[in-house]
Amino acid sequence: MASAINKRELEHLAKLARIELDPAEEEKLLKDLGEILDYFKELQALDTASVVPMTGGTDLKNVFREDDERENTDRGAGTDAFPEKRDGFLKVPPVFEN
Amino acid sequence: MEPLHDLTIKKFHEGLINKKFSALEVAQATFAYIKEKDKEIGAYLSLSEESALHEAEAVDLAIAKNEEVAELAGVPMAIKDAILVKDQPATAASKILEHYTASYDAGVIKKLREAHAVFLGKTNMDEFAMGSSTENSAFKITRNPHDLTRVPGGSSGGSAAAVAAHLAVAALGSDTGGSIREPAAFCGVVGLKPTYGAVSRSGLIAMASSLDQIGPFAKTVEDAAIVFRAIAGHDPLDATSQDSFYKDLTAPVLENIRSLKVGLPEEYFVGGTDPAVTAEVESAIKKLTSLGITFKKISFPHTKYALSTYYIVMPAEVSSNLARLDGIRYSRIAGRHEDAMTLQDLYFAQKGAGFGPETKRRVILGTFVLSSGYYDAYYEKAQKVRALIKADFDAAFKEVDVVLAPVTPTPAFKIGEKTSDPLSMYLSDIFTIPANLAGLPAVSIPTKPAAALAPKELPVGFQLIGKKWREADILGIGQFYEKIG
Repeated sequence: MASAINKRELEHLAKLARIELDPAEEEKLLKDLGEILDYFKELQALDTASVVPMTGGTDLKNVFREDDERENTDRGAGTDAFPEKRDGFLKVPPVFEN
Repeated sequence: MEPLHDLTIKKFHEGLINKKFSALEVAQATFAYIKEKDKEIGAYLSLSEESALHEAEAVDLAIAKNEEVAELAGVPMAIKDAILVKDQPATAASKILEHYTASYDAGVIKKLREAHAVFLGKTNMDEFAMGSSTENSAFKITRNPHDLTRVPGGSSGGSAAAVAAHLAVAALGSDTGGSIREPAAFCGVVGLKPTYGAVSRSGLIAMASSLDQIGPFAKTVEDAAIVFRAIAGHDPLDATSQDSFYKDLTAPVLENIRSLKVGLPEEYFVGGTDPAVTAEVESAIKKLTSLGITFKKISFPHTKYALSTYYIVMPAEVSSNLARLDGIRYSRIAGRHEDAMTLQDLYFAQKGAGFGPETKRRVILGTFVLSSGYYDAYYEKAQKVRALIKADFDAAFKEVDVVLAPVTPTPAFKIGEKTSDPLSMYLSDIFTIPANLAGLPAVSIPTKPAAALAPKELPVGFQLIGKKWREADILGIGQFYEKIG
């Protein structure tokens, strides 16, 4: 396990997460993440080769619902909460630059 | 009318049906008290006085018509701001949701509406439930009612403080790694994290979906049981929720309680815990022994890995759950949107301005542990250790019925004491995290009633962790504990 993230990696992660960071935030994050990842090193000592991962909180499998009419949630999205909309549709800026 | 300070759900219900007071009178008196007292506490982010008074009037009308009403009818309740109440703000204490109004009721709110509870308002919290002190709220801090220079705990700090300061009779919070139990312990109230799947998560602004559960804050264990019974059960809108047909949650039988064997895990009783906490938890064990409950020393060898495991699994889930908060669908921050922007520019600007430091830290950390090249070393490794931590509990529950432990290593700490050092803040949850990782029910109970605290003494809680779906065991022991406490 690499125990630190460098500036270039942090910028890549921020890009993946679509978060704008200013230089002061980057500096603090590099320090904090370094310490946190260092703490995680203790897990390396543990032999888990034969352990089946626990992938969630529930034991339930294949949960189905009845195929009948459900409460109308206005196209399922709560369109009234959209900050910008037109004719009941979500309005977004262009995906591509002009 | 009985003073608000003495009102439990039980007493409120008796007073209401015996017409000692009306639901409207109590609601009005509670709002008057909130307006005076919450200036110093800061428990609420928003109040819904108009709708609450209507809800209370409807209960009074039913009483006047001699209709039978539920035990929660008219009970003034506070709701954590991460839980959706239709037409009320739901910010999760984040700038990125500052202008969002909930367009539907959470599953738990639907159930509480059927019982005709009264919703007073939404309570302060750490942003997106990320924190242990409520200091990560984007809007304000909340103060501990027992000492205004100290934190109420978190992340459900507003709900805990509201109940402790009599600004609500009961409240709802959510618990991902201790966010109900830790503030309950710090504020001297009862807090229950139910079995994973016992309560619907529909309408809870998700933090870490495999760990989150909604649960009650109350002044007594019996009250917590009453609220839990009302909110538990299957909800078609949460596929992980299920019916569990709870019996004997209230009015436990002493014979049954005495037959329970309680385990004391040695790893939870080692150095590093504040002597005041150790002494209080030991006195609680003594009191329970006097009830005839037997104890047995047990061992959880993987306890020490719980914090690392949690701080990998949880941020991983956070990073995907929070992706939807983009300034497009729910709420938008003014001044961070220009017509020339592309969609991607808007995401960067909105998330950059909308997420606080702890949220950014966890989203970035979660993105890292899930990213190509690191997934096996971190995320999969943590999922495997999570299985080992659960296996520790499975093994222990072959020998004992319930596990007793401290809730927190220290009583409430000072405001500002841990804000600059995330790791020391994370350590506040060291005793509460394992129950979330294993999906088990756990309750935090004050070692003594608030009235019995010496001047300047801070509340301390002890924790009872039960087998899956056995809330009746931990709440049963708790109800007898309070009778002798």
